[in-house]
Amino acid sequence: MAAVQGGMSDADIETDIKTEPSTDGFGNNNANDGRVLSASPGSGSSTGSNKQTAAVTPEDQQTLLAVLQFLKKNKLIESVEILRREAGLPENSLDPKATESAGAGSGGAAGIVDLEGGDVSSLLSRVTGSSSAGAQAPTKAVAEDQPDVRVVLSAYSQQGDPTLYEVYYSDLKKFIETVLDCHRAELSQVFYPLFVHMYLELVYNNHESEAKAFFEKFSGDQECYYEEDLRVLSGLTKKEHMRGNETLLDFRTSKFVLRISRDSYQLLKRHLQERQNNQIWNIIQEHLYIDIFDGMPRSKSQIDAMSGSLAGEAKREANKTKVYYGLLKEPEIELPLDDEDEEAENEEGKPKKKKPKKDSMGSKSKKQDPNAPSQNRIPLPELKDSDKLDKIMYMKEATKRIRLGSDNLPSVCFYTFLNAYQGLTAVDFTDDSSLIAGGFADSTVRVWSVTPKKLRKVKSAADLNLIDKESDDVLERIMDEKTASESKIMYGHSGPVYGISFSPDRNYLLSSSEDGTVRLWSLLTFTCLVAYKGHNYPVWDTQFSPYGYYFVSGGHDRVARLWATDHYQPLRIFSGHLADITCTRFHPNSNYVATGSSDRTIRVWDVLSGNCVRIFTGHKGPIHSLAFSPNGKFLASGATDGRVLLWDIGHGLMVGELKGHTDTIYSLRFSRDGEILASGSMDNTVRLWDVMKAFDDLETDDFTAATGHIHLQDNSQELLLGTYTTKSTPVIHLHFTRRNLLLAAGAFNP
Amino acid sequence: MSAPKTIPKDAQVMIQILKDMGITEYEPRVINQMLEFTYRYVTTIIEDAKTYASHANKSNVDADDIRLAIQCRMDQSFTSPPPRDFLLEVARQKNQTPLPLIKPYTGPRLPPDRYCLTAPNYRLKSIQKKVSSSANRISVPRLSVGAVTSRPTTPTLGTPSVQSVTTKVGTPVSLTGQRFTVQIPPPSQTTTTKPTTPSTPAVSNVLINPSLIGSKNILITTNMVSQNSGGESLKRKHEDDDDYDAL
Repeated sequence: MAAVQGGMSDADIETDIKTEPSTDGFGNNNANDGRVLSASPGSGSSTGSNKQTAAVTPEDQQTLLAVLQFLKKNKLIESVEILRREAGLPENSLDPKATESAGAGSGGAAGIVDLEGGDVSSLLSRVTGSSSAGAQAPTKAVAEDQPDVRVVLSAYSQQGDPTLYEVYYSDLKKFIETVLDCHRAELSQVFYPLFVHMYLELVYNNHESEAKAFFEKFSGDQECYYEEDLRVLSGLTKKEHMRGNETLLDFRTSKFVLRISRDSYQLLKRHLQERQNNQIWNIIQEHLYIDIFDGMPRSKSQIDAMSGSLAGEAKREANKTKVYYGLLKEPEIELPLDDEDEEAENEEGKPKKKKPKKDSMGSKSKKQDPNAPSQNRIPLPELKDSDKLDKIMYMKEATKRIRLGSDNLPSVCFYTFLNAYQGLTAVDFTDDSSLIAGGFADSTVRVWSVTPKKLRKVKSAADLNLIDKESDDVLERIMDEKTASESKIMYGHSGPVYGISFSPDRNYLLSSSEDGTVRLWSLLTFTCLVAYKGHNYPVWDTQFSPYGYYFVSGGHDRVARLWATDHYQPLRIFSGHLADITCTRFHPNSNYVATGSSDRTIRVWDVLSGNCVRIFTGHKGPIHSLAFSPNGKFLASGATDGRVLLWDIGHGLMVGELKGHTDTIYSLRFSRDGEILASGSMDNTVRLWDVMKAFDDLETDDFTAATGHIHLQDNSQELLLGTYTTKSTPVIHLHFTRRNLLLAAGAFNP
Repeated sequence: MSAPKTIPKDAQVMIQILKDMGITEYEPRVINQMLEFTYRYVTTIIEDAKTYASHANKSNVDADDIRLAIQCRMDQSFTSPPPRDFLLEVARQKNQTPLPLIKPYTGPRLPPDRYCLTAPNYRLKSIQKKVSSSANRISVPRLSVGAVTSRPTTPTLGTPSVQSVTTKVGTPVSLTGQRFTVQIPPPSQTTTTKPTTPSTPAVSNVLINPSLIGSKNILITTNMVSQNSGGESLKRKHEDDDDYDAL
C-alpha cells in the first residue's frame, strides 16, 4: 500500500511518495490493477503486473486517468466511453467518484482484505480508495496545467456515511485503549491527524452539523500542544473557509508523518482490516505516512519530545543527507607582533614564520576537516584589504578574550531602548559591537554608535576630489565632520521593519519589512541603495552571510530566498515549509541556511543545491530564534513554548532540551568559543546555559542514529547557570562581543 | 458623565469571538477596531452585491450575489501566498542554475543601476524661459533644481537639452537674453569647485553641492524675470510644465 513504508519489501512502492509522485502513483495504480485482474491475495505488488497495462507511457497514463476522472465528475459519460476505448484502458481501471457519494453500503464496505474475485462493490471501493491516492499523484504532475483538475481530484472523496464518522473514531479509540501499554503511546499518535482529516473531510463535503458534533466530541481528547491548531480548526466550519487558508491546504495535500514501530503497526493494521467499515484505513493510507522502524516501541515522553509540528515528525530519510558542518579554513594572516610589525600576509599557505602569540584562529592540522565543505563549494567573495585588517583586529581581540565556563560567567550589558512605545521590532549589533541598529514599527531604521566615536557620512564627490588620496588617514578624511551625530535615521520602508542585519564588513545594513521588500542601506552615506523585491508578503527575518555578499530572507509566503547583493533576483528559493518562516540563519561556513517556521519545524537547507537536508521537529510553537554553535556542529532553537532545543546537525537528532523560560524566546546566542548559550525571552529574563556540559555527554550510538530514538535527560536545572531579570524589558537581541562580554537589547515596556 | 453601564450588543459579540479564538489579553480599543473592520467589510460586500444584482437585472439581492461579492473582494484584498506545489516548482527551476561566480575587485557589489535606488531623484531643468509680453514683471521666483553629471557614463534622468547648456561643472555658460537667472544671495553656499563668475549681471550659475552618492552636482537657478530678453526665441513652450515633468 502506498502510504506504508518499511512493511513492504517490494522495490516499487518503497519510494517516497512526496518526491516521486508520478512513478509511485503509477506503481500503486498498476499494482491494484494487477490485483484486480489476477485477484491474488497477499503481498503488496506483483512486479510482473506493473508492465501489463503499460500500453502508454506512465505519465500519459496518469494524465489519461486524471482526465477520465474529470469527465466522470462532470457526467460526460459518452466522452468517457470514447476516450477509454481509444486509449485502450481496461474497463475497471477507474470508478466514478460521483457515484460513491450515494453513500449506502458501497462506500463503507471498502475492504483491503483480498477477495477471491468476488464482491464487486468492495473491489470498486478498494480500487477507488487507492486510485484516489493514485489520482492524487498525477495531480501533482499536471498541477500547473490544470488547476481545476487538481482542485477536483485532490478533494476529499465521500467515503462513507458522515454520521458514522463518530462511530469509526470512537471505535478506534476503544481499540487503542485496550492495547498493551507499550504500544498505546505510539498508536495514540494516530489520533490527531486522523481527527483533523476526518473533520476536514466532513467540512469539505458540506456536512456542517456532523462536523461540528464530531469536533465537539473529540477535540478535547487531543494532546495539549495541538491546542492552537484546534482553535484555528474550530473557526473553520464551511468549505469556503478552507479556500483561503494556505496552511490548511498544504496540510491536506501533504502527508502527516508518523513513526511507529513494526509491532504496533501490525496491531493497528490487523484491527482495521478486520472491520467492515474501513473508513479509517482509507484515510490513513491517503493522508498519513507511516515510517516503520524495527525495534522497541517508543515511550510517551520520547514521542512527546519529537512531535508537535504541523506535518508530524520527520522521515528518517529526510535527515540522512551528509551535511558539511565543519568550518571553512581561515586564510592565514600573519599576526602582527607586539611591536606592531606589519607582517606580510599569506593566503591559504603555510606561515612564513612561526606565530609568537597564541593563535586562536586554529593552528590545527593543515589537512582538510572531513566534515568541512571545500573552499569553493560555493563562490565566496575574496578578502579585500579592509577585510584583512578586520581579521587582524579580530585576532588581536580574540587573544584578550575571556574564557567562559560554568565557573566564569560573562557580564551582561543591557541596552534598553527607552520611549520606543513597543515599536522596536528588530535589533542587530555589528560583529565588533561598535554599532547598534534598530528596526521600528514606524518603518524607520535607526543606527546608533555604541562607542564614543560618532557616525559620519562620506563627503560629497566634489569634496572628495580635494582630499589627499595618498595620506595615511584617508579613511578618516573621506568622512564629513559636519554630519557627525550619535545616531542616524533612515527612511524608506513602508511598513514595520521586522528583520535587520549588519554586513560583516560594516559597510551595509539590511532590513526586511512588512511591505515585502528587503532594503540594503549604505553605512557610509546612510541612504538606501537597493530594494530587493521578491516576497510579496511580510518578510519576517533576514541575515547577511558571515562572509558578506549573500543574504537570506524568509517571510509569510513560506519560502526563504537566498540573494546576492549584486543580483536583483534571488539565487535560491527554499520552499517546503507549511507555514510562514519566522527566522533565518546562516551556518558559520555559509554553505547552509537554517529556517525556523510557524509550522513548528526547523529546516536546514543546502545553499549549493537548494535542497532541504535536515528537518527538525519537536517544538510545540512557532520558532522565533535560531543560533548555530561557533564550531558549526550544533543548532539551538527557541520557540513560543519557552523551550530551547539543541540539535546535532551531523546526525540530525535532538540532543538537548533546556526548560526554564516561561514565555517566547526571541534571542539565542552562543558565546564566542561555544561554551555558554545565552537565551533572552519575553519573560524579561536572560538565562545562561552550560552547553559544553550538554554536548559532552552525548551518546549517539548506532541505534539512536538509525531510528532517531532520543533519550533526553531532564537536566535543565543543572545546565542553567544563571537567570538575570530586567525590570520589564523583554530581551529581543543578544550579542557576545569579541571578548565575550554579553550585550543584550530590548525596549522598555512598562 | 458616567460611562454607560452596558456594552452594546455588537461589542459583546466581538468580545465573545475574541475569547473563543483564544485571545485573552488585548487593549480595550481592539474591540472598536474589530467592530469598525467588520462594519466596513460587511457594507463593502453588501454594496458590491447590490451592484451585481442590479447588473443582473434582479430586483432583490440574493445569496449568489453575496457569494460573488465575497469572492471578488477576497481575490482583491485578502490574497494569500501561492500554493505549495507552485512554489516547489518555481524553487526547483530556480535552484537548478548554479551559483554565479563572483568577479573580484569590483567595488561595491550592487545590481545594475536600474534596479538600484541610487539614481538622482531630480533632474536638471532647462532654465530658458519664454519672455512674456509684460516686461518688468516681477514674477514669483521659481526654484528649479537640476543635476549635472560630471561623469557622462552614469545614466541620469536629465534632459539632453540641458546638457548642452552646462556640460562641465562650474562653467557658466552665458546665453545672453536666453536665460534669466539671478544670483541667489548665497548664505548657504558651502563649497564651490570653481568660483562662478557671472558673465552678465543677470546670469550666473550657483553651484551647491550637497553630498550624494556618486559625483553629481546640483545646479540651482532661480528664475526671476527682471529684464526682458528682447524676445529671442526659446525652446520652451510651457513654462510651468517643465518643473513637473514626469520622468
